[in-house]
Amino acid sequence: MTVMQKKSLLFLCKCGANISNFVDLDRIADWASKAGHIDLAESHNLLCSPDGKKFFQETLKQKKPDTVVVAACSPKMHEKTFQELAESVDVNMSYIQMANIREHCAWVTQDKNEATIKSIELINAAAKRSFEAEPLKKMTMAVNTDMVVIGGGIAGIEAALSAAKADRKVYLVEKEISLGGAVIKTEDIAPSMECSPCLLAPRLSAVRNNPNITVITNAEVNEVKGFYGNFTVKIHKKARYVEESCIGCESCFEVCPVDVKSAFHLNMGTEKAVYTLFPGSVPAAAAIHKESCLHFVDNSCNACMEACPFGSINFNQKDEDIEVTAGAIIIATGFAAGDIAGIKNLKYGAIENVYTTSEFERMVCSNGPSKGELKLKNGEKPEKIAVIHCAGSMREDGLPYCSGICCVEAAKVGMLVRKQLPDVQIVNIYQELVFPNPRDFSFYKQQCEAGTHFLKSDNISSVLLSEEKERIRITALGIDPVEVDLVVLSTGLQPSESAKKLAEILNIDLEKDGFFKADHALLHATGASLDGIYIVGCAKGPVNVSDAVVTAHAAIGDALSKLVPGREIELEIMTACIDPDKCGGCKLCITVCPYKAISNNADKHISFVNEVICRGCGTCVAQCPSGAAKAKHFTDNQIYAEIGGLIYA
Amino acid sequence: MPETTSTIIAFVCNWCSYAGADQAGGLRLDYPVNIKLVRVMCSGRVDPQFVMDSFRKGADGVMILGCHPGDCHYRNGNIKAMKRSILLEQMLPTFGIDPKRFRLDWVAAGEAERFKEVVTEMSETIKNIGPLHLKGFVESEVA
Ligand SMILES: Cc1cc2nc3c(=O)[nH]c(=O)nc-3n(C[C@H](O)[C@H](O)[C@H](O)COP(=O)(O)OP(=O)(O)OC[C@H]3O[C@@H](n4cnc5c(N)ncnc54)[C@H](O)[C@@H]3O)c2cc1C
Ligand code: SF4
Ligand code: SF4
Ligand code: FES
Repeated sequence: MTVMQKKSLLFLCKCGANISNFVDLDRIADWASKAGHIDLAESHNLLCSPDGKKFFQETLKQKKPDTVVVAACSPKMHEKTFQELAESVDVNMSYIQMANIREHCAWVTQDKNEATIKSIELINAAAKRSFEAEPLKKMTMAVNTDMVVIGGGIAGIEAALSAAKADRKVYLVEKEISLGGAVIKTEDIAPSMECSPCLLAPRLSAVRNNPNITVITNAEVNEVKGFYGNFTVKIHKKARYVEESCIGCESCFEVCPVDVKSAFHLNMGTEKAVYTLFPGSVPAAAAIHKESCLHFVDNSCNACMEACPFGSINFNQKDEDIEVTAGAIIIATGFAAGDIAGIKNLKYGAIENVYTTSEFERMVCSNGPSKGELKLKNGEKPEKIAVIHCAGSMREDGLPYCSGICCVEAAKVGMLVRKQLPDVQIVNIYQELVFPNPRDFSFYKQQCEAGTHFLKSDNISSVLLSEEKERIRITALGIDPVEVDLVVLSTGLQPSESAKKLAEILNIDLEKDGFFKADHALLHATGASLDGIYIVGCAKGPVNVSDAVVTAHAAIGDALSKLVPGREIELEIMTACIDPDKCGGCKLCITVCPYKAISNNADKHISFVNEVICRGCGTCVAQCPSGAAKAKHFTDNQIYAEIGGLIYA
Repeated sequence: MPETTSTIIAFVCNWCSYAGADQAGGLRLDYPVNIKLVRVMCSGRVDPQFVMDSFRKGADGVMILGCHPGDCHYRNGNIKAMKRSILLEQMLPTFGIDPKRFRLDWVAAGEAERFKEVVTEMSETIKNIGPLHLKGFVESEVA
């Protein structure tokens, strides 16, 4: 039996003189004419030029080759160009093979003779490989263009509003009973010192009034299935025992006999067993602390129910499991304040009047436990306050990094104090000062002029607090001891408690520091490590309010540009696939796939690739002991042929 | 032995090492002509059989070059490559192949100099060991 010898049509590109000066193209042409498996098209001066492209297309139309080898530059430059040109004249892209005789040959081999021989080997390998190619098919998929936003801080709020403005349905999931995140717990936002509630209130009401946004509070995402364009998200919403008809009028607060430590006030104040976080919250409805409410504890109280003018109290409300679908998921779960419990020198929790910046912010906040009044534990006004920078940061037993935004917060303390107590002395003890932008730096300069005294220690980790009569004494390397009445520890920002769990649920990566990892730090900084999932605000690392909003808008912009109603998304073409007849069901492929793209059909004992999730790394193919898994366009046969082609030219 | 008569096959991942080699070209860094690259999407795609096949067909050295650990475009394919390589290196002597003929290394897209360094070193190593003669193992022709 004689098999017709397949032939590859060879295009030789001179690339101006970039190739032809270093490689003897005539000799290659001569070799090609004798090789038997190669048909030579003329060499062209610049194949990627408009003229060259036309030549390429015309020649393909005329010669109808089995396969094509383009001996030119790197496939990373122009593989796609020539594949698309081929498709435009009905030649399947898989039959286009590039031989990189420029970057990998002409430009790196001084001896022209050697470079010519190597070029022949590369072309031969490309031709041999091309004969093994199987046609590739472009795949597209219809997408859901709605979005789920997880976390209702400023970043999540802005993301939701932007997406809703583009007429997308948004599910905004917040674990607390109302929106606002960390910003609503502060009084003013440095460096512009805009009032936080004034900034947030209109945004909150915009969310409330937007019919495209469904706010789901007291809720957490506990399962996500699917992929970019087609996620199914399961949300567990805990009962709050107050119906949506509640307008937050607070009538029940007066009658509730139970006081509970308030987490919103960082345990520095109390709230009733029926509570809201702050007046004007979104949603407005109150919630009940089931563990403390007497109705639940011993059925001895119904006071709130009787007091409610709207009949909104419902002790029988049940937890709900809600399932929604979306094309993109935006993670806006923010941060947690740096934990300094383990740093003994700072005496946090051991000495009175030592607070973290978060606590200090609550104290001076008009919606705070003391309605904004700053006082010592004994009720008196402080006379001197110290702020310790980098408390628990940049040390191995705390946060090993610099959060980059706490110096501004630390500088803000003095300003907030002077707002109500103009004569208090403020001293900020620091080792490093970080003000990443000019506005932050001028804010710091203003604080110096306004009276904050900045003291530089040689080692901020050496700061030691001790009680000295009624006062607090601070020592540190390189400074004289300081005595004050109140200390504010400027803690860093660490990943939110749920980051790890969410990363597992979504199968995305975290950075070493525990914040969510970007798909690409520069080019796709708001993309998570899986398509269709975004990371915004402090979920992606410590940022200030301005950057939290910028990242939210950036992520939504990217999502909107990719998920367009009525437009299908293009899928990865060179995915893996598994031959069901060869698969032995060992599941080794499943263990190595970095994207969990492979599932096992338990009935048939075989594995199959979800080609929407697969990115085509080919790792499963290398692992498969049965030869069942195949990497499209990078098949074993193609690679074996290429190896052979390189060695036997 | 002269470079031109020995062959080193290097499997390089598309995202880092192939790009690193492209950059070496862009910078006109001269390196031994016996280095021949086979592009794969990720070093994790490299089946140890590809390495064996290269030796069988006459390669004197084989390399796998991928992104640095932590930088794999597909999260951790390079770690898979590393695990497989450790096993492979242990097996090579049973086929009469000096494990020094095989090398796994990392070259980032921007590391043109490093690409040149790594492949030049490999070329030197192969020059020192000499050609590989796999007795009774070599296929005569490949389709
Ligand atoms: C003390 C202090 C002072 C600050 N001062 C300033 C300042 O002056 N100027 C400035 O620009 N910045 C300041 N910042 C930083 C500012 O608070 C942040 O930039 C901002 O809060 C980031 O917003 P965010 O939405 O990313 O995160 P957050 O505000 O943390 O919001 C995250 C939201 O997600 C929710 N959430 C978390 N996990 C889940 C989950 N699994 N499911 C559902 N919901 C979840 C949280 O409950 C929260 O509502 C300060 C920070 C601190 C700690
Ligand atoms: S090619 Fe990579 S991403 Fe695709 S199924 Fe295989 S291991 Fe997973
Ligand atoms: S590794 Fe191969 S044989 Fe095993 S389950 Fe996956 S595809 Fe099937
Ligand atoms: S993509 Fe380079 S090693 Fe995985």
